[in-house]
Amino acid sequence: MSLANTNLERLQAELMDYLRHDNTDVFSRIEAAGSVTIETRLNIYKNAYRMRLRETIDNDHPLLGIYLGDELFQEMVDAYIDTFPSKQVSLRHYADDLPVLLKRTEPFCHHPILAELAAFERLLLTSFDAANSPRLAQSDLQELAPEYWPGKVFKLHSSVQLFYSDWNSVESWQALKQECAPEAAREKKGAWLVWRNPERLTEFRPLDEEELALLQQLVLGHSFEQLCLVLAARNPGQDVTELASNYLKNWLQAGLIRK
Amino acid sequence: MATSGNLTGALSSAQLTTPPSFPDHFLGFGLGLRVDHFQRILETKPKLDWFEVISENFMVAGGKPKYYLHAIRELYPMVMHGVSLSIGSTDPLNLDYLKKLKRLIDEVQPEWVSDHLCWTGAHQFNSHDLLPLPYNEGAICHVVDRIDRVQSMLGRPILMENVSSYLTYKESEMTEWQFLTEIARRSGCDILLDINNIYVSARNHGFYPHEYIQGIDRSKVKQFHLAGHSDYGDYVIDTHDHTVANSVWDLYRQALERFGWISTMIERDDNIPPLQELLQEVGCARAIAYDTLAPQISPQGDNSVELSGEHVVG
Repeated sequence: MSLANTNLERLQAELMDYLRHDNTDVFSRIEAAGSVTIETRLNIYKNAYRMRLRETIDNDHPLLGIYLGDELFQEMVDAYIDTFPSKQVSLRHYADDLPVLLKRTEPFCHHPILAELAAFERLLLTSFDAANSPRLAQSDLQELAPEYWPGKVFKLHSSVQLFYSDWNSVESWQALKQECAPEAAREKKGAWLVWRNPERLTEFRPLDEEELALLQQLVLGHSFEQLCLVLAARNPGQDVTELASNYLKNWLQAGLIRK
Repeated sequence: MATSGNLTGALSSAQLTTPPSFPDHFLGFGLGLRVDHFQRILETKPKLDWFEVISENFMVAGGKPKYYLHAIRELYPMVMHGVSLSIGSTDPLNLDYLKKLKRLIDEVQPEWVSDHLCWTGAHQFNSHDLLPLPYNEGAICHVVDRIDRVQSMLGRPILMENVSSYLTYKESEMTEWQFLTEIARRSGCDILLDINNIYVSARNHGFYPHEYIQGIDRSKVKQFHLAGHSDYGDYVIDTHDHTVANSVWDLYRQALERFGWISTMIERDDNIPPLQELLQEVGCARAIAYDTLAPQISPQGDNSVELSGEHVVG
């Protein structure tokens, strides 16, 4: 590396150190000019740095923000910016570690529902801009000969996500979305399906045990026959092919299966 | 060209004695594409010559952003504008970012691609801001080498934009406009001249904006940005949350006088108003350009067409 690059590297490290840690070494590199002090000039950048990251968290987590209230939200933002400086090119993924912070950091770690709420909001974002895979339609299956059905593997659309909750986090999210006060936090095991529908709207709904078990089979890449085996174990004596077909029909209508 | 088409409809043939002769790279008058206006644009197909998109906003796999990008691209020419190239950083070039940029270029087929003459982070930490470089020979060599590599990877020349700045480094050895011009000369890149940024930096550093404009190589400028700022008296911040200030419109006239017909667009990133208001601002830019460069055919006719705003196309 040339001497000029070494100088430039040092200057850039010092300015970043001021933005992140208030280290004033960079002051000696800045020209004093006019009535605006060096500190004021540098603080324009420092304030913009923190404001931009705060806005990103705010935009990504609107209902978590309401749940926390202004004061705790600011405390969370400050902790996040200090603990997780951005290494991302895009702000889209800057707050990916927010659930981790909420799990580990006082006072948030004493309220596990917060990490769940954050994780749920991040999953909605993941689904929102997941890949546009073409969706399988009922009509596409008319050409599938009966002998190929057992081995047929149905793949989930790229936007499909499964969310597991130990608390009433999604119910709280729904209440806040409807501008209602959420219930007090309480333990409540649940599973949720999140996906982007063909009209590009993100949707979610609760899953019962059986449908969850079937979708987990699809996540693992298992075949239609294996779906039927899961259903047979749960529904002895019933026509599981018809049961499986009904599930499949609903999934196709919702746009959950890709070609 | 849409501009001359609008003009023909608005003016009598007697007035159209000398139609302007536009340079090949002139796209007309455009607007920064923002999420708030996606649906409205598709519904109303406003009279506008082109859109500028922020590249990073569309470096996602799919969903609404990509849907609207492609739908609007089918209706309008586009240019791509990035904020993450970090051309002046001493960190290695981010090859993953450049691959994504190249993929997006292949998808969008933009008229051109631009980013900022600045750095955004170092030691792998990102400030997500456009931080100024020292204006000296060492920084020129560093940046020119990186622009060369980016242009090779993308297979096309890029445009570099001047940023607003709030501080000056002691190790600067030349003016910002000398720095920008020299980098463009050595690297072969073109220049996106942000008129508002010139004004903001001039106020913050006490130079004459006219001198900046006169100091830029005329052959290198391919696009203008216009935007609003926040004036705090002692200093000015480039906030993109207001309409274009009168002082910036004045500077735009001076830039037109020096550079001629240059593709011009309005940037708005915060406090975003209804689309109609921004279209009116684009109409102002168009009216000023005609008034400055082709006064015999410009003023009311063309402007009234633009200011009449949106129209629904069957």
